[in-house]
Amino acid sequence: MRGDIACPGCDLLLNIGTLKHSESASCPRCGNFLTKHREDAYDRVLAFASAALAFLIIANSYSFLSFSASGLESTMTLRQTPGALWDYGLPAVSVLVAAFIIVIPAIILVLMLVLCIPLRQGRHHPWLAPVAKLTFLAQNWAMVEVFIIGVIVSLVKIAAMATVEIGESFWAYVAFAIFFTAAVASLDRYQCWERIEALGGGTQ
Amino acid sequence: MTTAASKGLSTCHLCFKLAPADVHRCPRCDSAMHLRKNDSIQRTLALLITAGLLYIPANLYPIMYTDQLGTTEASTIVGGVILLINLGSAPVALVIFVFSVMVPSGKLLAMFYLVWTVERHSPLDPRQRSIMYRVTEFVGKWSMVDVFVVSILVALIHLSGVLVIRPGVAAICFAGVVIITMVAAESFDARLIWDNMSDDMDDESNELQRDAGPPL
Repeated sequence: MRGDIACPGCDLLLNIGTLKHSESASCPRCGNFLTKHREDAYDRVLAFASAALAFLIIANSYSFLSFSASGLESTMTLRQTPGALWDYGLPAVSVLVAAFIIVIPAIILVLMLVLCIPLRQGRHHPWLAPVAKLTFLAQNWAMVEVFIIGVIVSLVKIAAMATVEIGESFWAYVAFAIFFTAAVASLDRYQCWERIEALGGGTQ
Repeated sequence: MTTAASKGLSTCHLCFKLAPADVHRCPRCDSAMHLRKNDSIQRTLALLITAGLLYIPANLYPIMYTDQLGTTEASTIVGGVILLINLGSAPVALVIFVFSVMVPSGKLLAMFYLVWTVERHSPLDPRQRSIMYRVTEFVGKWSMVDVFVVSILVALIHLSGVLVIRPGVAAICFAGVVIITMVAAESFDARLIWDNMSDDMDDESNELQRDAGPPL
């Protein structure tokens, strides 16, 4: 039946029915959050995701942090964060850090744009389902907000040794993280898949 | 109270689509479908043991080296916390301690506990264990903080001859612990917590819990 769902946390059969704008549903048995309906969901995703992409480009263009001690100065960009680990012989960690803070978030943003433009216009494409699948699979592996905490902790650690200056890129990255998180939070998994199916997606 | 399994339905892990249990590919998103995640307990346990073993070198070996004017100082994760307390930045020490010590070890213990209670069909409050699982899942990636701190310090501080920070092997061990425990949490099937319960909970209804959003 339409709107039927089994709670992914405890397998209880439920019917979502119709939700009002901004109304959310959760499982009565285990308390798992299920879905939230928003009439303007795709507008929000598109707005937040494009803002996030713009800020990510800015974050890659200027100095991220710079520091000075004993009259010497050194500056780093966002890209050098994983890059330096590579130079010190830890390529695996370097690739992971680059993936978690830049590459995977960027891919998710592009996929969300590709997905939400047709969903908003109500147009069906055969690639909607695979793109949505990739988007949701990648979401667990973006760690932009964790990286921000990492930067703050680093700042306090270095402040004990030398003078640190925060660059333009850092602020751009903070803005990117906020918009990225908002975009991901606006794309509801259940609603998105129901929409794809309603537009004629899926192999059935 | 009815579960999908009791009706012979399995649900897609990725898109929540319901389909008869003998369908092995989701008709909507083409993911593999199972009534319950395959060998959930064995896989989770194997990954947890791997992460637990990797956690030992992650704590014994230095996570970074500080070369200052000819002397090299190695620091481990716990050593870094102690150093920060001595430097007087207790709040940061607390942040590092929570993310790098409490979260990973707490997460391992919580997952072992969940696997153990499921294995012995424990009647302990399933709702509480569900919440425990969701917290564990949510908190997982936050232990990467320490790896990020090392990568930032290493990239920023390289004044040859004066002050250089180099990464240590513990960084890769620790990144491994975080990733493997995240995969372990994902391979654990939370529905197993409830599967043993179904008999004595007939008073539960299948009525959805709704929350109206903020009035905007």
